[in-house]
Amino acid sequence: MSEDLKASYLADLQTVTTLQELAQLKAKYLGKKGVVTLQLKTLGALSAEERPHAGKRINELKEAIESLSEAKEVELTHQELAKRLASESIDITLPGKTTGIGRAHPISTVLNEIIDIFVRLGFSVEEGPEVELDHYNFEALNIPKDHPARDMQDTFYVSDDVVLRTHTSPVQVRVMERQKPPLRFIAPGKVYRCDADVSHTPMFHQVEGLVVDTHITFSNLKGVLVSFVHQMFGPQVPVRFRPSFFPFTEPSAEIDIGCILCDAKGCRVCKGSGWLEVMGAGMVNPKVLEFGGIDPELYTGFAFGMGVERITMLKYRIDDIRLLFENDLRFLRQF
Amino acid sequence: MRIPYLWLKEFVTITETPEQLAHRLTMAGFEVEALERIGDDTVFEVNVTPNRPDCLSIIGIAREVAALYGTKVTFPDLNIVSEPKELDFNIDILDSDLCNRYAGRIVHAVTIGPSPDWMQERLEKCGIRSINNVVDVTNYVLLEFGHPLHAFDLNKLHDHRIRVGTPATVLGAKEPIAFTTLDGVERRIAPDMLLIWDGKVPVAVAGVMGGSDSEVSDATTDVFIESAYFDPGSIRRTSKRLGLKTEASYRFERGTDIKIMKKALDRAAQLIKELAHGSMYGKLDIYPKRWCSTPIPVRYARVNQVLGLSLANAQILDCLKGLELEITEVTDTGFVVKPPPFRRDMTMEVDVIEEIARLFGFDNIAPELPRMRLGNDDALTDAQRMMRLKQKLRSAFLAAGYTETINYSFIGEADIDRLRLAASDIRRAGVRIQNPLSEDGTVMRTCMLPSLIRNLITNVAQGNREFQLFEQARIFLPREGEQLPEERECLAALIYREKVKSLYRDDTHDFYRMKGALEDCFADTRVAGVTYRRSAEPYLHPGQSADIMIAGTRIGTIGVLSPLVVNALEIKAQRPSIVVLELDLSALLPHIGASVHYRSIARFPFVERDTALVVDAALESSMILDLVRSFPSDMIEETAIFDVYQGASVGNGKKSVAFNVRYRASDRTLTDDEVDTLHAALVSHVSEKTGGQIRQ
Ligand SMILES: [Zn+2]
Repeated sequence: MSEDLKASYLADLQTVTTLQELAQLKAKYLGKKGVVTLQLKTLGALSAEERPHAGKRINELKEAIESLSEAKEVELTHQELAKRLASESIDITLPGKTTGIGRAHPISTVLNEIIDIFVRLGFSVEEGPEVELDHYNFEALNIPKDHPARDMQDTFYVSDDVVLRTHTSPVQVRVMERQKPPLRFIAPGKVYRCDADVSHTPMFHQVEGLVVDTHITFSNLKGVLVSFVHQMFGPQVPVRFRPSFFPFTEPSAEIDIGCILCDAKGCRVCKGSGWLEVMGAGMVNPKVLEFGGIDPELYTGFAFGMGVERITMLKYRIDDIRLLFENDLRFLRQF
Repeated sequence: MRIPYLWLKEFVTITETPEQLAHRLTMAGFEVEALERIGDDTVFEVNVTPNRPDCLSIIGIAREVAALYGTKVTFPDLNIVSEPKELDFNIDILDSDLCNRYAGRIVHAVTIGPSPDWMQERLEKCGIRSINNVVDVTNYVLLEFGHPLHAFDLNKLHDHRIRVGTPATVLGAKEPIAFTTLDGVERRIAPDMLLIWDGKVPVAVAGVMGGSDSEVSDATTDVFIESAYFDPGSIRRTSKRLGLKTEASYRFERGTDIKIMKKALDRAAQLIKELAHGSMYGKLDIYPKRWCSTPIPVRYARVNQVLGLSLANAQILDCLKGLELEITEVTDTGFVVKPPPFRRDMTMEVDVIEEIARLFGFDNIAPELPRMRLGNDDALTDAQRMMRLKQKLRSAFLAAGYTETINYSFIGEADIDRLRLAASDIRRAGVRIQNPLSEDGTVMRTCMLPSLIRNLITNVAQGNREFQLFEQARIFLPREGEQLPEERECLAALIYREKVKSLYRDDTHDFYRMKGALEDCFADTRVAGVTYRRSAEPYLHPGQSADIMIAGTRIGTIGVLSPLVVNALEIKAQRPSIVVLELDLSALLPHIGASVHYRSIARFPFVERDTALVVDAALESSMILDLVRSFPSDMIEETAIFDVYQGASVGNGKKSVAFNVRYRASDRTLTDDEVDTLHAALVSHVSEKTGGQIRQ
C-alpha cells in the first residue's frame, strides 16, 4: 500500500514545475485531508500487533515524501532564481558611469615627488613670500645693486624695493633669521622672471634646499644631491658636479645628470653632450650666513636649487614649457 | 664668449683635441656650450660666469688652460718703437674714484682701409663685423686681452686734450645734458654719469660708447687710442640708465684688469702702426689710484673642513700653483694669497678654497651623506601643516573628478573687471607689476576666480562641454602701511556643464554637486561648525550662492556664476551650468580638527521615524535640521532630509520637506510608545518654529 503511494507521489512529483504546484502536491499527500494523513487515521482500526509495524511504514512514507518535497523545493527555487536572473540581464558592454576622475597637474605631481624624497632624507619644509623685498631676494644673498649678477635673472619689479622673487633662495635668509642651526629644510614655491619663450615662462617653480650645521662639507653636498638624483631618476643615472658661480654660494656647482632621453649618447635635448643640467648648488657664502645672523666660523652649510618645470619636462618628454600653464584639458588629461 | 681654438693655441701649448679641451674647461667652471667647426678651426662657445670677466678673452682662457695643463701663457711679442717726438697732448682725470687709470697712445699718418683677411676672419669667428683697420684693431685687442679700447679721430679732439669727469664735475651741471653717441642717438646724460671730454665738449660716454663727432672715419689720418680703468658700478649704472649695453660696458661693469690695459694699448698701437702704416708716438699714462692686492689669509684646516677632504699642505699649495697668485707667509697652519689684478673676484678665504676645489677637481671629492643632529623642533612647521592640508584637499578634489590647473599669479585688469566688483573692493587694488610682459599679466591675483574663468574660456573654445577644474595657489592682498602684500593660500574650483544628452541621468543641481565635494573635504579634514549664508558677491547668482562661514568668519564662497558674468564671456553655449568655489585655506587651517577620540559604539537597536512638513517655499531647509539637532533629547542620533517637493498638491508658495530621525538610547532598547511620544513632541516643536504643517 505505502509503496504504491510512494510511487504515485513520485509520478506526481515529475509533473510539478512550480513551487505552488509543489505545495499543492504536498497538501494532497500530507495535508489535513491528505492521503497519508488519512492512512494514519486508519491505524486505530488495526490490531495491536499490526499497529506498530503499519505505523512505522506510514511514518517512513511520510518522511520520504517530505524529504523528496524538500529536495524538489530546492531545485525549483534555483530554477526560478535562474529564470529571474536571466530576465534581468543587462548589456555589460555599455560604458560604466564614472565620476570622471580628475587629473593631477604634472608639475604638482613632480613637486610632491621631490618633496617626498627630501622629507625621507630628514628635511623639513619652509616657505616665504612670493612678493619679496629686494633685500631678501638680492642684497642678503650677496647680490648688491649695480652687480652684474643681477643680469642672471630678469626681474619683475613692484617698486624699487619690492620684487616678485626671482628664486626661492630668499627663504634661506628668512629662516636663518628666525631659527638657529642645525637647519635642514627645503622651500618649494613659485618664482618669477621677466622672460617668455619655448623654454621660459614668466612664472615657474623651484625647490630650494639648505643645510647648516657645524661640520657640513662640500662632500656632504655631493652626498645629498647624488642621493636625490638616484631616487628621482634612477640609481644607474650618472651625476657630475661642475664649478659654476652663484653670488650666494662659494664654491658653487652646477649639477648635470646623464641624459635620460638618449642614455647619455647625445640628442637634441642635451645638445649632443649627453648631459642635462638639473640643479645649482654650493657651500653657503659666509656673507649670507652673516646676513642670516649665523657665525660662519662656527657653522658651514650648503644650499641647492632646482627647477621643477625642467624636471617635469624631462620626465614627461614635454618640449614646450608654455603648455604647462595653458591649462588645456587635451594636455592636462594626459597625466 | 666665442674662442677660436687656433687663436688660443698662439698663447698656450695644447696637446689635446678640441673635444678633450672642451671637457676640461667645462669641468673647471668654463662650460663649453657648443663646439663649431669653421674650416680647419674649432670655435668654442664658452659660458663665462659674471665673477670671471678676465676670461672674456683669448688670453684669459689661455691662462686657465695653462693652469689646467701645468704650462705657461706666452704673451704676444710687443716690439714697441715709438717716434721720439715731444707729445703735444694732455690728459686730466677729474673724477679719480670713477676712473682709476687712463692711458693713451697717438698714431699719426694712418691710412684707413679694410683690415687684412686673417683679422677679418678671426673677428667674424667671434661674431664681430669688420669696419676698418683701426676699429678692427681695437676690437681684435678687446677679444685677445679682454680690455676694451676706444679709438678717437685725433684731429676732432679740441685742444688735443682729454678730460675724464662727470657733467657735475666738469660743468657743475645739475640737469642732464645732451650727447649724441656714435649710433646716432641723442642721449640725456645725467650729471653723475662719467664722460670723456676733449678741451671743449664731451666725446664719449666713458666705457660705454663713443660720440659720433670724434668717431674714426675714412678721412681720419691721426688717431688717439684710449685704454682706461673705469669703476664697474659706475659703468653699470650708466649703461642701465641709458639702456645701452656694449661689448665695452659688459666688460667694464664686471671689472677689467688695471695692469693688462697698458699691454693691450701697446698691442693695439703696434697693430695699427703695422696695418694702417702709421707712426707711433709716446705714451701717456695717468694712474692716480694705484691698485694694490688685498692679502687673503688661508688656513689649511679650513680648506679641508669646508671641502670634506684631508689634503696635505703641499697638495693644497700645489692646486694654486698655476693661477699667477702671489703666495706668501707660508706656515704650518696656512699661508697668505695676494691675487693678481685680474682676479678681483677673490677677496675672502672661501674664494681661495673655491679655486683649490676647482683645480683639485669636483669629481675627486667623494660624496658623503652628512651626519646631523635631528632638528631642534619636532613640531611641524606652518608650511608643512599647510602643505598637508593642500595635499589632502588635492586628493579629495581629484577623486571628486576635478582636474588640477596651475595658472600664472598675475592677471590683467580685464580679468578683474569681469567680476563686476565695486570700485572700492580691495580685490581691485592688487599689487601692480612695473614691467609686465603683457596686458594680461599686470597685477597679482587678489582672488583665484579670474584665472579659472580664463581656463573655462580656453576649454569651452576647444569644444569641451562638461568639465571640472580646481587650483591651489596664493592670492595677494594689499596691506595698509606694509611694503609687502598679505599672501593667502586659496583653493578655487569650477564646474562647467552644458545640457548634453547622456547615457545615464543625473540631474543633481551642480551647486549641490560642488557643495557635496566641499562637505566631503570638511569631513575628511574634521572641520566642524561650517554654516552657509546667502552671498552678496556681485559675480554670483543671488539666489544660488552662499558664503561659507566658520566661527563668524567668511572662509569662502560657493555659487552659480551670475548670468551677467556668463553673458559677457561670449561663449557659444545655451545657458551652461557654471558653479564656482573659492576657499581661503589660510583661514581654514586653524579649524582643522587635530586628533580623533574614539566613542563607544551603540549596543542597542535604533528606531526611525519619517515626517513630511509643508512649509513656506522660502524656508531654508537647514532650519529644520538645526531644530531637530538642537532638540533637547540625547536620544536623537541622526537626522537627514530625504525629499523636497513643490507642486499643486502642497499648495502655492509652499513646499514639502521630508526628514528622517533616528532614535537610540545608550542603555536600553527603546519602545515604540516612547519613540512615538518623543517624535510627536519633536515634530510639534519643529512645526511651531517653522510654521509648518504635517503633510498628510
Ligand atoms: Zn640626450
